[in-house]
Amino acid sequence: MTMTLTINGKKRTLTIDPGEKLLDVLRREGYMGVKKGCGAGDCGACAVLFNGRAVNSCLVFAAKAEGAEILTIEGLATGEVLHPVQEAFLQEGAVQCGYCTPGMVMATIDLLSRNPDPSEPEIREALSGNLCRCTGYVKQVNAVQRAAEWMKGGETRG
Amino acid sequence: MSNIKTYQRPASLEDAWRLLSEEGKTAKLVGGAVDVGLFAPPEVATLIDLSHLLSTSVESRDGGGLVIGAGVTLTELLESPQAQAYGGGILVTMLRQVASPLLRNAATLGGALASTHPWSDVITLLLALDAQVRRYSGHPEEAALETLLESRGTMDRVIISEVSLPRLEERTYIDFEKFVRTGFDVGMLNCACRMSLSDDGCANVRVVLGGTPDIARRSPDVEAAIAGTSLTASDIEKAAAVASESIPARDDVRASGAYRRILAKAGVRRCLQRMAQKAGE
Repeated sequence: MTMTLTINGKKRTLTIDPGEKLLDVLRREGYMGVKKGCGAGDCGACAVLFNGRAVNSCLVFAAKAEGAEILTIEGLATGEVLHPVQEAFLQEGAVQCGYCTPGMVMATIDLLSRNPDPSEPEIREALSGNLCRCTGYVKQVNAVQRAAEWMKGGETRG
Repeated sequence: MSNIKTYQRPASLEDAWRLLSEEGKTAKLVGGAVDVGLFAPPEVATLIDLSHLLSTSVESRDGGGLVIGAGVTLTELLESPQAQAYGGGILVTMLRQVASPLLRNAATLGGALASTHPWSDVITLLLALDAQVRRYSGHPEEAALETLLESRGTMDRVIISEVSLPRLEERTYIDFEKFVRTGFDVGMLNCACRMSLSDDGCANVRVVLGGTPDIARRSPDVEAAIAGTSLTASDIEKAAAVASESIPARDDVRASGAYRRILAKAGVRRCLQRMAQKAGE
């Protein structure tokens, strides 16, 4: 079957299998920043924004994205300029192996778009579906707080 | 490996129902598709997407009741001012404990009911609230969630379109408790209590225990232990003891039956203590 959706601001018409998941379609189309982890909605490595909300793309049937706006990690930077959330993760060292980072960043963008000044418990809740097996989440929480400060101040990057 | 061969977007509920009837067990209704994405049985070859047909509104009605479209995601419900105001925010208290935000962003209220998971926090609280479910199975009809759950195996064979929650009378109290090992894990047990308290004591009592590991059910023995009492500390302890003795607790991978009995006692006690405290304020 064919479907039309918008990925990172670009309208795309794709041929998909009716049972395919959005994660597999995105990776096949070259969006390799969408990571394949558990495949069961537990780890959040595959998180993308689906009409502005962070979801596990491993659970979403690609066909369900007909007409939807999808944002992946590849759609955040403007040229060489990183999104403030990406920059904050870098500056806070909230990255170790990096596999979980794209999902964490997308979940953070969802959070900050609705709650520009989250408390630490709110940040931890927002990231509760994103597992990191390298670190202890402290640096990720710091990164979200730093990104929130920058974005409140209207800065595009730190 | 998925055996899904077709993905349908019917033009109306009638069309969706016709497709479901024609395809039988090889078709599955899809709202947020979280459950089907995880647990689609191998015989399922057709998905019938309802998301464009179901209401996503949350409206206050009847002077304080709530009408919720089955297409509302759990996040949308959590963020709805109407839901936040209902029952002192009890829906928010419960929903914040359901899965992770990533899953709540996709999962719908209709799907949370249709899946009839035994660990469902949504079902436990909605049973305590005496939710009414509007559904379509060739024609629209409405029934109490409690009645629908009696034929649990057929819940995913009808189209759930709307859920309504009653207006809560003054001096009605409701509480929810869930026991989990990690933040967004499936619960080992959950519990919801609702009652009104007047000078004649507790009335309209509904006590629901879920994840026992069976699906949520009202506990008539606990309700009888509370009804008519003034909810003193002694009344609460007696009701909590009855909960421990009367639940159909069994062992599974999440907890032993013996541990669930202890949790049932703690859950009922905590809910009732908080309700008594609110009543005394």
